[in-house]
Order: sequence, then C-alpha cells, then structure tokens
Amino acid sequence: MSTEYARNDWYVVADVNQLAAGQVVETRLLGQPLRVSGSPDAPLVTTADGTALPAQLRYDHIWTSPGADPRPLPDIAEAAERDRTFVPCGGVRVRCSPLRAVENFLDIAHFPFVHTGILGEEPHTEVAPYKVEIREDVDEVWATQIGFHQPQAAKSATEAIETRYEYRVPAPTTAVLYKTCPPKPEAWDVIAIFVQPLAENECIAWPWMALYDEVTPYADLVQFQQEIFLQDRSILENQKPTLLPLDPRLEIPTRCDLTSVVYRRWLKRKGATYGALTTAA
Amino acid sequence: MTFKLYNYVLSGNCYKIRLMAALLDVAYETIAVDFYPGFEHRSPGILALNPAGTLPVLTSGDMVLTETQAMLTWLALTYDVTGTWYPVDDPERLATITEWLGFAGRLSQSAGLARLHDMLNWPADEKAVKAAAISDLRTLELHLNDRVLEGGLWIAGDGPTIADIACFPYTALSPDAGLEHDGYPAIRNWLYAVRALPGFVAMPGIHYLHDLKETSGD
Amino acid sequence: MGVGVGVRMNSVAVGLSRDLAPKRVMRAVAYGHDLAVWRDGENGLHAWDNRCPHRGMRLSHGFVRGDRLACLYHGWQYRKDGGCAYIPAHPGLEPPETIRAQTYSVIEKSGVIWVSTGNDAQGVDTGPVSEPLRSLTFFCAEAIARAAFEDTPFAGNLPQVESTGRLVAGGHPVAVLANPVTESETLIHVLTSAGVGIAAKKALSRWCEAARSVAERQAA
Ligand code: FES
Ligand SMILES: [Fe+2]
Repeated sequence: MSTEYARNDWYVVADVNQLAAGQVVETRLLGQPLRVSGSPDAPLVTTADGTALPAQLRYDHIWTSPGADPRPLPDIAEAAERDRTFVPCGGVRVRCSPLRAVENFLDIAHFPFVHTGILGEEPHTEVAPYKVEIREDVDEVWATQIGFHQPQAAKSATEAIETRYEYRVPAPTTAVLYKTCPPKPEAWDVIAIFVQPLAENECIAWPWMALYDEVTPYADLVQFQQEIFLQDRSILENQKPTLLPLDPRLEIPTRCDLTSVVYRRWLKRKGATYGALTTAA
Repeated sequence: MTFKLYNYVLSGNCYKIRLMAALLDVAYETIAVDFYPGFEHRSPGILALNPAGTLPVLTSGDMVLTETQAMLTWLALTYDVTGTWYPVDDPERLATITEWLGFAGRLSQSAGLARLHDMLNWPADEKAVKAAAISDLRTLELHLNDRVLEGGLWIAGDGPTIADIACFPYTALSPDAGLEHDGYPAIRNWLYAVRALPGFVAMPGIHYLHDLKETSGD
Repeated sequence: MGVGVGVRMNSVAVGLSRDLAPKRVMRAVAYGHDLAVWRDGENGLHAWDNRCPHRGMRLSHGFVRGDRLACLYHGWQYRKDGGCAYIPAHPGLEPPETIRAQTYSVIEKSGVIWVSTGNDAQGVDTGPVSEPLRSLTFFCAEAIARAAFEDTPFAGNLPQVESTGRLVAGGHPVAVLANPVTESETLIHVLTSAGVGIAAKKALSRWCEAARSVAERQAA
C-alpha cells in the first residue's frame, strides 16, 4: 500500500450544508483521522495532532489535501454557469475501495440490472462501441460517443430516450459525467462523484450535480440521484476482492468495459495504487 | 387524489407505504422531503404537520397520519377490496398481525438505525444497535421457521398481510449495515416471496427479481 | 460413524435441502471458501466460487433463469458447467470459453446440502433422523456450539447422547451438523425424525436457541 501518489490529490471531506449548520465533522482521510470545522467560507481542516491542512470550498464541498505539493483541484467549468441548479447530494459511506466506487460510476452496462426502469431496462442491454482515450495534455481519462436507451434518464425526462454520455476522470477519485439534458438538448447535465478515501477498503461518495432543471423541486433532484447511487452501494459492497485489481488477468473485461480498462491502466501507469490490488494473479 | 405521502426515497418506513400502495394498486401523490442531507424533516413546514419530525407523513383530506402502522391499517381497510391484507374478521390472526406491527417498530430502531449509521454516518451506538438488530432478526427467523414447520410462509396465516409489509423493509435492508441474511434461511425465503408479489416495487438496496422476467440470451 | 461428533470428512453441510427451492441461489461458506450455491429449474444443485469472473460481484446476489445463473451486476449468464453463455451488453457475441465460474462438488444427502472443495462431495447418512428442523448461526467456535447442545436441558432434562453421537432431547432424536464459518461463527443444522409433530418441532427449535445462548455466553 502506498499513499505517495494519493497524498497529493484533493479530497472532499465535508459538504457546505454541514458547515453552514455549524457542525464539526470528525472524519478520516487515507486512514488518518481529521476534523472539519469553521464556516463554508473559512473552513478549517485539522489532523489529530492539530496540524492545519489546506482547505477550500469548491463545488459545494470542502476539499483538503494532506500532501506537501498537491496537484491542482480538477476544474469543472460548468460550476461557473449561474443558471444551473447545483445539488450536493450528501455523503454515503461504502465498504469498498474508493477506486471501485469510481469505476462503477464509469460503467453503463449495469444500468438494466441495477438501475432497472430508471437508467436501463431489458431488453435494451446492448452497449454500442464508444471511444476512450487518455488525454495526455491534461492527464485525464475521457470516454466519449456513448449512447444508451434509458427509461427515465433524469428527473426532468418525461419518456424513455436515447441518452448521450461522456465521462471524464480528472483524478483517481474524481469523475464527471456529461449527459443529455432532457429539457435543454443543446446543453449537458453535469453529474460528478467525489470520492473520499477513508481507507483503502472504505470510502464516502459525495455525488454532486449541476443541472438545467427549473421545474423539478430540489428535494426530488437530490432523491433521484440518491436512489441511483444507493442502488450501486449494495453492488459495491459485494465485489471481491474489495480492492481494485490492476493486473489485467484478475478480472475479465469485454468490449463495453473499455473505460474501466483504460482507467485501470492509467492508475497503474501513474502509480495511483491507493485502494488498488497490485499483486499479480 | 387518494392521499399524499411526504416521502424520503431511502427511508424504509416511507417504503412500507410505497410498497403497500403499489401492491394495492393505488395511485397517490408524493412530496419529496430532503431528509438527508437537507434535514428538511426538521423544517417548520414539516414540523407543523408532524411535531415529531418523523417520516413518512400521510395526509388524506383532513386526516394526518404519522405512524406507519396506522397508515398500513388505513390503506388496507380503505383500498384492499379482497379484505386479505388486514383480515378484520379473524381476531387471532389480527392480534398476531398487531404483534408484528409492534415488532416492525422496534426493527426500525435497531436494524434501521444501524443502517443509517453505516450508510449516512448517523450518530448511534453502533455496537448496541447492531446487537439489537441481530436479536430482532433472530426473533423473526424463529417465527418464520415455525411457519415453515407448519407448512406456511407468511408472518400471519396463509397469505401476506400488512405485518409482512411492515417487517419487510428493514429486514431486507439489514445488509446495508453489514448484517447479511446468510444465516437466516427462513427470512431469506420470506424476503423472496415478498419480492415476488404481483405489483412489487423495489427501493435502493432491494433489487427487482430479474429471474421473473422472460428469459433472454437463448 | 457419529453425527454430532467432530468427524473428519471432506465435505461440509452448508444448508438444508428444504431451504433452497428450485431457481434460487444462496451464499454459503465451505472451508473458508465463499460460495454461491444454486438450484436450476430442474432441481439440479450447483456450488460455485462466489465471484463473477467479470468484475468480481458475488454470484449469490444473482438470479436463475432456466438452467443458468446470472450475475446481478451486468447480467452475465453462466451455464451449469460454469461456462459463460451470454453477455447482455453484447447480445451477438459468443463468449470465449475462458470465461467460466469455478465450480465445486456438491451433493444432497439426509435432506442436507454438502459441499466439498475437492471433487467428490460426500454426505453423512443420518438414517431416519433426516427431517429438517432448522439452520441457525452461533457466534462461537464449532466445538463450543456442539458441546452446548449436550449441556442444554430440554424440558428440564439434559439430552441423552447416543453411541452414534446423536442426541435424544425430550424423547426426540436429533442430529446436529456444524459448519465452521470462521473461528467465531458456526452455522448449525438440526435434523430430527419424521414422526415428530409440529408442536414438538417448535419446542426443539426453541431448545436450539437455548443452546445458542449457552454457547454464546461461554464464548463471550
Ligand atoms: S460482475 Fe458479474 S456480470 Fe459483471
Ligand atoms: Fe450505477
């Protein structure tokens, strides 16, 4: 196990609602206990021995990094578009590797079986070919040209549609989904997942959305996303091994798993192995 | 409109009402309450309706119900044309049903709270609630195994009643708190039977029975 | 050969036949291996490594369609021999032969499902004492669980221990089978004989719970 790479990324450790309500959050990051306090505008993150870590408010969440020289926090340009509705969906604890949680977020083939009647439905199970690349200039994984038949793609969807998807992985534990916006076809809805690694085998997932939807009540938006993520939770807690295998011989992918294959390769290449199984088959 | 349900999608108690209404094929209106992360059940609007601040809340006309057992009883008496979900003409069976409705209330304090703790970091004495949850699962297993020995399956009598619906969610969701069903075969088979009921609806943590669909892939 | 004594054999009791209907799957542990045990539509029994070769999902969460076990995560379907037959994301694709679930040997005997991690599962013949009573988990080691049955009175009297290792509680013959799940968890299966009435069976079921209390108090 190595935290060397992981230490220099930024991680969500609380959301804006918690600090706005005056909560002091006792949590963990990469196995170390942390305390999050202060206000949304002046958040304070301290370790067990009282050392203050850098802290910032971005995308309605409080982020920190324990490393000496953190890489930049991923930029999500849509966060600046003020006519979007921003929805932090709360943290959900999952007994799985933080990397397995991200990989599940990048997967579409499970929609008919795990998100039945919402994001997918038999017999519409086929995954058409799509494109995956590592964009070397920004060091991000991108999956594009994805289409899938969805019974209810979003709360704002009134009928089944062929949804377009693009996935972007700007950091090992941060993933962003750009997806057809039913009421505004020229724009993308943005759904991100910020994964807080509590330990190698336990994490908190913080889903966040930036949507164009002026009709749906806010609570419905939150619950739509929570319903979907909690359907994944019971899957994630039953994958074996708990850690994400990086040796390609340990699990057998097929064509539709290209995003997962490239994500694993990218992690291995970077040495981003916190939460990964690195021993050979 | 039949009734309004102030609803939280991840709540097992709210799910009892959604499930019962689906099985009775009753349409209704839901009002989403942002229980987490918004703590909206503690907002003045909800507290005015239900001073206890619990979910769900069911309203119909001037009637406001805040206890799921009462809601299940009302739903069955109002919409169950078969009269089987809450069989008022059978005192002993009705008493058994009421007994297990009480048990269902305890279960939400044990298995239900353990789940909120593990899933949403809810404050709870983890060891104590999980021990209580195991004790409750054992109580249900003993009873359901008795039913199997009698040639039965359901909690009370020969068919499903509101007692089954009341006990179903937090039993089915106990793996969310790491309490698996492996050592509870009678519970496992009873859970399957509930999921196989016509009109069944799922919730996160409880999947649809894909085996009931037509075979694909041949 | 005694039932209820720690007999060394190559197979372990993972459940009662009664409790696994056709087209159902359950999780089981045998000698530390996590297994999915399932029945196809024709009542055939199968025990597999509880891990989908695709992305590691526990197959015990899956579902049975006809004579195939399907994984809940992406719906991959596996034939009775463990080979992958169908990948829903690519309906036209013939899955390569290399995709297969690891299978174990499993049989039914005395109304009990027995699994071996070798290739020749055997069961214990419990003779007429093969009427299923129940399975239940004890949070203690196997030896403590077994001993507790001998130390727990039924209707005021300690059970008799027969030379076969079987117990007689309140006049009712009882066979106790144990599957050590971990050092501190034991899955117990209890059988009695067909002539025992429902009321007596319920009483025996409560006696099992009393034995569990004795065992768990001792283990604590
Ligand atoms: S993990 Fe089993 S089908 Fe994908
Ligand atoms: Fe998912």
